Formats: sequence, structure tokens, C-alpha cells
Amino acid sequence: MPQTVRVFTARRILTMNTSIPVATHVAVREGRVLGVGGTELLHEFGPVERDDRYAGKVLMPGFVEGHGHAVDGLVWRNPYVGFYPRRDPAGVWVEGLKSIEAVIARLQAVERGLADPAAAVVAWGFDPIFFGGRRMTAADLDRVSATRMVMVGHVSGHIQNVNTTVLERCGFSRDSNLDGLVRNGDGDLTGELQGPAVMGRASRVVGDAGILRAIDAPALWDYARIASRVGVTTSTDLANGLNPENVAALQEATLSEGFPLRLVPAMRQRDYGLEEGIARITELKRMSNPKLHFGLVKITVDGSIQGFTARLRWPGYHNGAPNGLWYVAPEELGAIVEAYHRAGHHIHLHTNGDEASELATEMVGRAIAAHPRPDHRHTLQHCQMADAAIFRRMASFGMCVNLFANHIWYWGEQHRALTMGPSRAQRLDACASALAAAVPMAIHSDVPVTPLDPLFTAWCAVNRLTPEGRVLGAAERISVTQALHAITMGAAYTLKMDHLIGSIDIGKHADFAVLEQDPYDVPAGALKDIGVAGTVVGGVPTAG
Amino acid sequence: MSPIPLSVIGGFLGAGKTTLLNHLLATAGKRYGVLVNDFGAINVDTALIAARDGDTIALTNGCVCCAMGDDLGAGLERLAGRDPAPEHVIVEASGVSDPWRIAQLALIEPGFSLEPLVVMVDAAAFLGQLTDRWTGDTVARQLGFAELVVLNKADLAGDLAPVRAAVHRLRPEARVIVAAQGVVDPEVLHFVPPPRPTPSRFVADAPAHGFMTQVWRPAGSLDRARLRAALEALPRSVLRLKGFCRLAPDGTSHLLQYAAERWAFTPQAGEPGFVLIGTPEMPDATATAALFGPTEAA
Ligand SMILES: [Zn+2]
Repeated sequence: MPQTVRVFTARRILTMNTSIPVATHVAVREGRVLGVGGTELLHEFGPVERDDRYAGKVLMPGFVEGHGHAVDGLVWRNPYVGFYPRRDPAGVWVEGLKSIEAVIARLQAVERGLADPAAAVVAWGFDPIFFGGRRMTAADLDRVSATRMVMVGHVSGHIQNVNTTVLERCGFSRDSNLDGLVRNGDGDLTGELQGPAVMGRASRVVGDAGILRAIDAPALWDYARIASRVGVTTSTDLANGLNPENVAALQEATLSEGFPLRLVPAMRQRDYGLEEGIARITELKRMSNPKLHFGLVKITVDGSIQGFTARLRWPGYHNGAPNGLWYVAPEELGAIVEAYHRAGHHIHLHTNGDEASELATEMVGRAIAAHPRPDHRHTLQHCQMADAAIFRRMASFGMCVNLFANHIWYWGEQHRALTMGPSRAQRLDACASALAAAVPMAIHSDVPVTPLDPLFTAWCAVNRLTPEGRVLGAAERISVTQALHAITMGAAYTLKMDHLIGSIDIGKHADFAVLEQDPYDVPAGALKDIGVAGTVVGGVPTAG
Repeated sequence: MSPIPLSVIGGFLGAGKTTLLNHLLATAGKRYGVLVNDFGAINVDTALIAARDGDTIALTNGCVCCAMGDDLGAGLERLAGRDPAPEHVIVEASGVSDPWRIAQLALIEPGFSLEPLVVMVDAAAFLGQLTDRWTGDTVARQLGFAELVVLNKADLAGDLAPVRAAVHRLRPEARVIVAAQGVVDPEVLHFVPPPRPTPSRFVADAPAHGFMTQVWRPAGSLDRARLRAALEALPRSVLRLKGFCRLAPDGTSHLLQYAAERWAFTPQAGEPGFVLIGTPEMPDATATAALFGPTEAA
């Protein structure tokens, strides 16, 4: 006996389906879209269950985060001390902290709540760029506790602040003259640690590896809750070691009743030898389920622009900092890309600087020339500094791009002042250039680096505003239609899932984002302010 | 417990780091603990393998080889915690990393003492790598703080003079040795034999691999500020200063390790005495003694 047909009614449905772009009714059976249209759907499929809960709302296809990290469900086990307000997994807005005093006060409150006198206070998301140059010091954190270890991670991931107890237990003193231990004018350590060597030591001493902890099923549930609140029904986890423990957690969560998110983890290539990795990803593809899609391989080519570890072409960093680091040797990258490409896999390459994007494009091009394969959809992730020429070359090889549009708001001013300079920063995350070159495009948040919220990401790409009120690269702004495509079909295409998700179309998963307003009814500047009432995943409404 | 000597071996992809490590492991005269980047490339005779467990191989000769993983410090901690502990730890820097960054970690990781920073060079490919648009700066940066440069694959390189000249231009202070097939005397992994008590403050010792050494044995406690000023004033020709001293006011013993204008003191007991290691251009014993100021003769 066929399952019941349920027809959701809505004020408007923006389907992203080119045959029926706008509708008011959507029929769902067996978790899939059976029909899209108007009132006729109530009669065409025999007896139906009419569901009017969204009658006053606007439905869109569930949003697709093409570059996120499920670890966002884990970081909330520690206190958040960021500048911007942010919503925790329970949906509670955590106030942004506008001064170092406010950060200290929050940490003092956390400290007072700790029963175990040996427990450390470890916080995340700190962002001092709007504090007029004032940096946090060990003395500040000593006010949280003079006996406990206190550690605060910066939102960029490249810096930590610690208190005197941590400095002492690490053996860091005035007489440790090492790169990465920041000093004040008198030569004393400020408690700011930069770079993996000294940060790694502090993390080990504190015994809280923060985002390096393994993600368990409850953390994946928390990530899914965060996603539902912003309309996301499919998210990548880019990347994941995908060892048996990781896979068990992913399976436990995605097979549990009512899990409200489709997860697309990418296998972290550098965790495996070449043949071993190819065997592993092949094996993983057979372990997918409707809410868990294996198949992506992630290769990290360079570092980050704001951490000065991205690889830049001429003229290098605007402030004269030395060029960044290759995370993999250029020649080795060529061999890795060729091997995975040849074995038929789908490669996502992290490239922040334009030299890294150029190199990755070259290596993908060589692999394709040697082993032609249509529809590979190899994708550059971030690709933040690419110019029109790189995009044209990517298009010629059939490559896709996922641009980090949120950077325009969060770090645009810094890129203008320090890393890229005023001219080059105009092409930071150059969405219009990518589309002009006909490169299939998505845009992303890189959550938890910036908060997950595709409508905000779309707002960034459409308006290109910085917190100073500046439009950074007016010519790279894209239309609302292009931005909405990027967060639905655009992202689905880069994941090779455009036949399953990304539009409301017959046969696809019944995954919807439920919006309070129609994005076309509000000014482009208000795109980010549209309320999200929740999602529908596989025809099942989830709480917003 | 005396600190475990730690050597860092850097060099670009293809320079022969793994070949050198495979050779050292197979012919080891002591218990090496080796942290490698490319675990799959470690290739020792199966007859030598005593046990294999995930990313660790234990050899019948007492050596152990582990995959480095993401956290070098954790890897070092794991090695130091083995029973018996390795007699010498070797860290293979990845082909694209800056080995000096890794070497600095040995200055702060308790229980280790940094030996020469060895950078291997593929003598046949080096000049091409230096002019490559994608790799040139990475290769040059790797040599920036090298103390010992191994010109490997010398048999394939033809004329070594331009290679030597390029190395000298990038790092005039480094000593250069020539090798083929990654085979070098394990002694290159040591600067000098452990400092021995000497009657005078600074005594010039016999050069090893062309390095000059001086040994200094302070009698009393040293003033931190004064010592810091002396360290800050050391010329680049002094590559290293290492050893124990007592620091005023309470006279607690510290291990001091200095390398390339970076240093760290870590509280650790030991017989007071420093060894200074440098190029033949380093200041003579009288000049160094003047720099460090008056101390009581032993
Ligand atoms: Zn990321």
C-alpha cells in the first residue's frame, strides 16, 4: 500500500526548479517530492493529507552548506567569548562581548561555577580586532583565576591567550626566547601564543585539545540543531579523518530517528597514504545512507590569508610578510590529484591564496589531460584571491568553486589594510568573476570559523559590506537570485548531489527551509534578517 | 635523567631524508627513536621488525619508528615515555616545512636537547628547485637556519661547486658534507661529545665537521639579566650554546639551550657547564669570556 501523500501549503514556494520556479503547494510521499504546483495538487494524487502549518511562510529548498565543520557541535561544550552574538545548539543567543573586561567577566562567571578546583577554564571564539589595538594579557586572565589554568582560543584558530599558570606549567618564561611567544615592550611574555608549536604545547599542558577532540554522535546532533535553525538541511564536514570511530559516530547519528541533517563528510587525504586513502574512500562510498554521503576527498594546499600562511602570487602580502606555506609540495600535489582523479574520486582542494589556487588548477588540469573524465566536479574551496584568469582556466577544465563570502564581512577590512591591500581586496571572494567565467559556484561559512547561516552568507555576496560600512569590491556583488542559487543548487552541484537536493523538484528529497519572508520582498540589505522558522528534512518538519 | 639528544632532519621532497632514516635504522648502534612524516615510506628489512602496531614499528635492535601525526610535541612525549627510552631522537621534517620551526620545539620540550639542525639537499636538483616559481622560496627558507647541510646524491650532480656556492649564499654559517644514497656517518647527528669539566673558563676544543667549540664552566650562580644581555649580543657565527647553569638569586639549576638567536631556560638539574658551538669565525675564548662577564674560575 503506498504511503500517504502530504501536501504542504505555503504563502510562496521558491523552488529553484527551472521548470516550476514558483509554487504554493508541494506534495510529499516517502520523504520525496511528488509534485510541485498549486491547489491542483490536492486532487491529483488521490486522498492527501493537507498540511497548512506553513501557510503563512515561504518555502525554499533546504540550504546546503558546502564548506562547514561539524565540530561546531562540539565547541559549545566550552564557553564562547566572541565579539558577535552567536546562537548555541539550544537556540539561545549568546551575547557578543565588546570589550576585554566583558570577556573577563564571562570567564569569571564560568570559573565560579566550576566545582573541581583543578579544572581549567577553556574558552573559544575570541576576536580582539575591534578593541582598538588592545590585546588580552596573562594579567587579564589571571583575574579569572590565579590557580586554575585559563586558555582562550581566537576565532581565527591561529592564536591563543593563556594566564600565568599556563605559562608556568608550559615552562614559558621571559627567558624562553622562541618564535610564537609574544612579548611586550619590556620583553615580558604577554600570554599570547601564536603558531602550532607553542599553541600545541599549551593545549597539551591544559589537557583540552578543543576542536581536536573526536566528534561523537551527541555533537553531531548539536550541529544538526544549529543547522536546522538557519535552514540548512545538508552540510559538508570538511574534513574528517573518517577512521572507524569517526564513521561509527556519523552512522549512529544519521541513522537515529529524526536526525534533521544530511551530512557529507570529506575524507582528510593527509591522514592516509596514497593507495590506502584510495582504498578507504572506495570502501566508504558503500557505507553511505540517505543522510550520510561519502565520496569527497579533501586536500589542503596552503594555510590562511589572515594567518599569513596562504600562498600568494606577486606582489605577495600587502604588509610585506613573507609568503605562506605549502601544506603539500607542489610536485606531490600533482601526484595525489592524479591518483584520486584517475581512480574516479571527487576532490575538494583547500586553496586560500591565489598562488595555491593557480597551482591546484594546474595540477587538476594536468590530471584531466592525462586521464580525461567528464563531470568530475573537482572543486576549489575558499579560493579567496582568484582573479578572472584563474576562473577562466578552472572553467576550461570543468572545475567548480566554493567561495568564502563571509570573509568579506569578518576579515574584509583586515585584508584591505594588511594582507591584500586596497586594490586586490576588491576581488576577495570574487563571486561575479567566477560566474562571469561560468564556473559553477557555491558560497560558504566555514563554520565554526564564522557562524553557519546561509542567508547571511548570501547577504555578504550580494552586498559585500564590511563592518566599517564600506562596500569591498562593488563590481563583484552578485544578484539575490545568484546568491540564492549558490546556497542551494550551486552547493549541491559541487557535492554531486544536485540530483538529490538543492531544489524542490519531483523525485528529490523533500528538504525545505522555512522562511518568514520572501527574499525578493525585502531589500537586498535585509537578506540576513529574514527569520528562519525551521526546516523539513525528508518530508519531516523539524523544530526551528 | 639527562636530556635525550634530538636531531631534526629537514630538506625538500626527494632530498633523501627517508633513505637516510632507513639506513640509520637498519645499521643503528644505539636505540634511535624516529618520528617520520611519511610512515609508508619507512622500509626496513622485515627480519628487523620486532613488532608493528598501527603507526609504530619496533625493531629488534631497540629502535622505534613512529608516524609524527598532527602534534609533534605529543609524538616526542610518547617517545620519551617509552621503556626503555630512546637514546637519541630523530625528527624528520616534512618536505615542505621549515625545519627551524620544528627545532625550536626541542628547545622547550622538557627532556630533550637539540643537536645540529641537519638539512638535506638533492645536489642534482637543488639549483632547479631554487629557481622554480612554486618551490624556490620554500627550499631557500629550509636552509635559513641549517647548521649541517648534507649534499646528497652528489654522485648524480656533476659539478658540485655551484651547488656549494648557492648553499653558502643562503647560509654561510652552515657546514657542508657530501653524501651519496643518503649514507652519512651517524656522528653527524651530534655536535660534540658531551661537555667535560675543564679547568679554565673557555677552552677551544677540536673542531667537529668544521665546527669550533668552546667549553665554559661557571662556578657560581649567574644573573639572568646579565646572561640574557650576553645571549642577545652573540654574533651569528655562534650557532649554539647549551648546558647547565645555576641562576641567581636562589641558585636553581637550569638547562639553557640557545640556537640561532632563540633560546630557552628550563629548570633541570645538571653539572654546570656550557658548550659554545660555532663557525671558525666565532669569537675566540677571550672575547666570549669578556662578553659573558667576570665569573669565578673553578
Ligand atoms: Zn574549513
